[in-house]
Parts: sequence; C-alpha cells; structure tokens
Amino acid sequence: MDNTQNNVRVMKESKKRIRVDFEGKTPWLERMKKKVFSVYFLKNVVWYIFRLILMIGISYVILFPFFSKIAGSFMSPSDFVDPTVNIIPKNFTLNIYKAIAVENRYFEAFLNTTLLSLVVAILQTFVTCLIGYGLAKFKFKGNTLLFALVIFTMIVPHQTLKLSMWAHFRRFDLGGVQALGIPGLFKFVTGIFNGGFANGFTPNAMDTFVPLIVLSICGLGFKNGLYIFMMRQFFRGVPDELEESAYVDGSNTFRTFFQIILPLSVPMMITIFLFSFSWQWTDDFYTKVFFLNNDVWLMPNIWENIPPSLEMSGGYAAKELYETAIENTAGIMIIMPLVVVYLFCQKYLVQGIERSGLVG
Amino acid sequence: MKFLNTVKEKVSALFQTVKTGTVNLFQTVKARFTGGKVPSEGGALAVPAKKKRPASLDKKKAREGWFFVLPFVAGFVLIYLPIILDSICYSFFQLDLVTGSVQWKGLAFYNAALLEDSQFVQKLVAGIQQLVVDTPMILIFSLFVAIILNQRMVGRAAFRAIFFVPVILSTGLMEAINAADILSTQMGNADGGISTGATGGASEIVSAMDIEKLFQGIKIGSGLVEYVAGAVNNIFNIVNRSGVQMLIFLGGLQGISPSIYEASSIEGATAWETFWKITFPMISPMILVNAVYTIIDSFTSDSNIVMSYIAQTYETGKELSTAMSWIYFLVIIAIIGLIFLLLRSFIFYQKRD
Repeated sequence: MDNTQNNVRVMKESKKRIRVDFEGKTPWLERMKKKVFSVYFLKNVVWYIFRLILMIGISYVILFPFFSKIAGSFMSPSDFVDPTVNIIPKNFTLNIYKAIAVENRYFEAFLNTTLLSLVVAILQTFVTCLIGYGLAKFKFKGNTLLFALVIFTMIVPHQTLKLSMWAHFRRFDLGGVQALGIPGLFKFVTGIFNGGFANGFTPNAMDTFVPLIVLSICGLGFKNGLYIFMMRQFFRGVPDELEESAYVDGSNTFRTFFQIILPLSVPMMITIFLFSFSWQWTDDFYTKVFFLNNDVWLMPNIWENIPPSLEMSGGYAAKELYETAIENTAGIMIIMPLVVVYLFCQKYLVQGIERSGLVG
Repeated sequence: MKFLNTVKEKVSALFQTVKTGTVNLFQTVKARFTGGKVPSEGGALAVPAKKKRPASLDKKKAREGWFFVLPFVAGFVLIYLPIILDSICYSFFQLDLVTGSVQWKGLAFYNAALLEDSQFVQKLVAGIQQLVVDTPMILIFSLFVAIILNQRMVGRAAFRAIFFVPVILSTGLMEAINAADILSTQMGNADGGISTGATGGASEIVSAMDIEKLFQGIKIGSGLVEYVAGAVNNIFNIVNRSGVQMLIFLGGLQGISPSIYEASSIEGATAWETFWKITFPMISPMILVNAVYTIIDSFTSDSNIVMSYIAQTYETGKELSTAMSWIYFLVIIAIIGLIFLLLRSFIFYQKRD
C-alpha cells in the first residue's frame, strides 16, 4: 500500500483530463489475460454476440418482405419465368410504377388520403388528449363508468357495427346544418336518432369525410379507445403538484391545460398522431363502409384493381406472380409517404412511451 | 293493468312532491327577496334561509372535468349508443333495405348462426384455440425483445426503429397485401419450378421449404417437420403483431427505478434472480394490460378466422352476420373477464409515496 501510494504520478493530459500512473502496475498483457479469460467476461461476450445475431435476424424477418416487394416492383414480366432471377431483376423496368401512378390515379389518391388522414389524426390526437386528461385528473361521479365505456368501445368488434354505422351515416343530414336553418338542425338531431329505421329521404353523408370527422371529434374513431387509454395513463403519471402550483398562481383549469399540460405531453401526442395518421392511412374497414361508390379516390382503390395496360393474357405462365408483384408495388407506393413520416417521428415514439410510465 | 295502476300512482305521487317542492321553493325565494318570514306551514323547506356558498374546489373541479370528457359523452350517447342499439335490433329483425320494412324474427338468426351454420361454431372454437397458442407466445416474445432493447448495445436506436416498423406499416391494407402475398407464393410453390424468390412474402424469409430441406437429410418424422415449419412461418406473424406490446413493455421497464437493480447487484443477485424477483413483479401490471390488449387486438383484427368469416357472411346475410358478431362479442367479453380475474391476483402494484 505504502509503496504504491508513494509512487503515484499524476500527469495532466489536457485541461479537463488527468492520467494517474502507478509505478508497480501490472503490465497491460497480464491485465488483459486476467480480463479475457474470466468466466464473467466470456459470458458477457457470448451474450453480446447472441443478442446481436438475434436482433439482426429479427430485423431481417421484419424488413425482408419490404425488400422483396421493392425488388419485385422493378421486374419485367419475363423475369418471373426466368429461374435464374432471384432477387435482382435482369430487365430493370419502371413500368409498374408508371402504370399505377397514371392509370390507377395514384396522386389523386395520395392527395385525398393525405387530407383525410391529416384531419382525422389531428382531431383524434387533440380529442383523445382532452378525454384522457379529463379521465385522469378529475374525480367526478361516473369517472370509472366512463372509463369502462372507453374500454367497451375498444372491445366491440367493428364488424358488429358495420351495418348500423352504414345505415346511420347514410341518413346523416348535414346539408340542413350547412344551410344553418333550424329545420335542418332538427333533421340533424332526428337523423342521428332515427338511423336505420327512418323512412323518407334525408341527405346522406356517404362518400364524404363527414362520418370519419364526426367519429373523430367524439373520440370514437378507429382504435381511439387505445389512444384514450394511453393518454389517461400518461396524465396519471404527471404529478398533481404541477397543476396545483399553477392554480395557486391564479391560473384556471383550461389555461393550466393549454399552457402547462399540453406542452408537457408533446411526445405522447406525437406518438398518438403517428398511430392515428398511419392507421387511418392504411385503413381498410372504414373506407369500405363509408366510401362505397369510389367517388373519393383513396389508397385502397389503387390496390384493388390491376392497371389495364399491365393486364396479362390468361395463358401466361407467371400471371399470378406478376399480378402479386403489381399488388406489392401498390403496397410499396401506399406506404412510401408513411416511411417518411415514420423516419421523422420514430424517436418520439419511444420517448413518448418512456415518459408515460404506463401503469395498469 | 295492475302494473299500469301502480305506475300511475307512482307518477302522480312524484308529481305531487315536485309541485309542493316548487311551491315551497318559490315561497322561500320570495321571502328572501321581500325580507319577510317564510310561512311556517310550508313544511320541510321552512327553515331559515341559508346564505348561498360558492361551490367547493372539489365540486368545481368535478364540474370542469365534465367539459374535458364532454366530446366522448356526447358522442357515446348521440352516436355510439344508437348504433349499438340498432345493431342489436338488426340481429333480431329481418330488414328490407330498399323498402325499409322490418319484420320481427326473434332468435332466428342466433339459432341459424349457432345450430344451422355448419362453419361458425367450428371457426369460433378454432379461433379460440389459436388465441390460446398465440397470446403467450406474443407476450413472451415482446417481453424478451423489450428487455433486450432496453439494454445498452450497439445500434440500439436503429433496432428500436426497425422493431416498431410493423406497428406503423403492417396494418390494414398492408396486412391484406401481405396475406395475398403468402397465398400466391404457396401457389407458385405448388405449381413447381417457377422462381418465386423475388415475389416472396412473409413465408419466403425463412421459408418452410428451407427447413424441410434441412430436415430431409436428418430423416425426422414429417409431422415434426411440418410443425417446425409452421412455427417458423408463424414467427413473422408474431413479430408483426407484437409491436404495441413491445412499446408498452419498454415503457414499463423504463419506469423501474435503477436503484433497485443496483441494490440487488450489491447484494449479489444473479441476472436470473434479478429478472424473477425484480423485473417480473414490477412489470406484471404491464403483462395484464398486454394480455388484454393482445386478446382484443387479435380478436378484432381482420385477419382473424372468425372475423373474416363474419365479413364473408356479411356479403350474403347482413343480419345473420350481425347476430354472429354479437355472439362473438359475448365470447370475447367472457374470455377477457376470465383472463382478467386469473391474472389479477398475480399482479404486484408498487406503492408510491
């Protein structure tokens, strides 16, 4: 002990770092031997390698379908009969992309879907934030009942409501409300209540954004139960003292919400926005219920039919495969904008969940 | 008739009380304004008038709370409830959508779904069986991956980004496209000879063919090979379906205070002990949440056998399909309730100071 203490040399490397050198230090080789040949170290190394391989493997499982879809989208029909072609196309072509963009009106679908998804996602984010805050921070009679109802809306399979949703929004009078006449408003209310069994004509809301917007405003849209649940858990993790100090300083509930709580919950809101935007973007169910006549050209429409110029004659050997490749290309084109959005938002995704302190 | 009479009596009694109440109230108010005394024969309300106090903070907050949940309450009462009620009605009535005529059918559709339809019950049982197999697998897998993603490692951010890709991209339409993809790959294989590598979808990745080839040399029974191949094909499915669960587990793991781990490592706990004595109890509320979420998610997703059968029935018999989905809903509720009761006793809640 004395020996080492006496021979300590402190050397200054730079302004902020120093290096301590001992005279009687074991040589580097010795130290590495001790380190490397210990069971502890070996165990760590094995675990490290195993973990890395596993992660890379699962990443491959996740990403390969996308790669294969992309590869297939550049192939020309002759590549599908060629046994030597596996993943890299021999006759590189952009025909499938061109045909889908032009004949299946990709850009129209893109604009419509962007508009719809943006409106729905913003509304849902804000509304579920409000509802989640209300459920988490206020103790009023029926709070637990309301929360149970939220869970209930989550559990009911949407297939159950398909017919009656269609019937309701088919007779949903919004023309009257737009004209701001009292009879119109009356019709609006009766229209909601009469629903499926109503006779007589009232303007319908089919093939418009109205049903989805109305559902979003009420927090009843696709998977909104989950969003409300997540928001509620998040706000339960926010300490009450924060609001109390705001109240003491003379801020009322709504100002506190907008100036203190909302800025806090931005990562969570981005998470919810990302979910609702992308789930609306690729939504299949509501689009089929509410946009029956294809008047509004949306993303599912570009997938459902094969562009006429790419139509193969029945006898062609790889017809099935080629058509699948066309469908896959449509899929790639559908999710391309989402990939961009995801790249921007993904770091908030984990952050939002991390900060939520979700506790059941 | 007896019933009606009693109702009438009740209503008139109620009316009477309301009437006397309003009279009393009116007199009280009048008295307060005129400064006179309240007539003592007024009854219950004839006590000296109290000063009106402002609502307490709790009451005020409770009232303000309603504003926040108002959209949901309004939407639920005005839109969702009528839709639900209509949907229940549809399963009891025969509708003619063109003329709008309605005919009472009683339990006929439920009868048809449960007794006459040859496939519904069978598919329901198959769906539940699949759930029993899949749910633990999804839970274990997502917990495992969440724990690994929570550790420090090279490229953690990139792995996280990749693992949550299915949550964002593989839903709805993409799910349908992927499903079609697998189908066509299998068709291609059955035809034989045609190269399917590039168009391959999910099953192509670690394709069942490869594994079968691998096992051919070892000469193990074909049943086992099929089982392994099925499990490997299922991995894609499981990875794709466990995104949200991973997020929830990751959030839970982040919430565990590092000082607990530090203390246990100082006491000499091994990694195995640390997992079972600390991580597992602390994460148990999340396991319940995830179990319920997984069940809901897999039951209501379009790729579910029963859901797709119901959707298929919808095209031909809308009322029958609605009746089926209500039966289905009851089954879901029962299973979730059962799981909830089973798991609830194992949950450990950390008390917060």
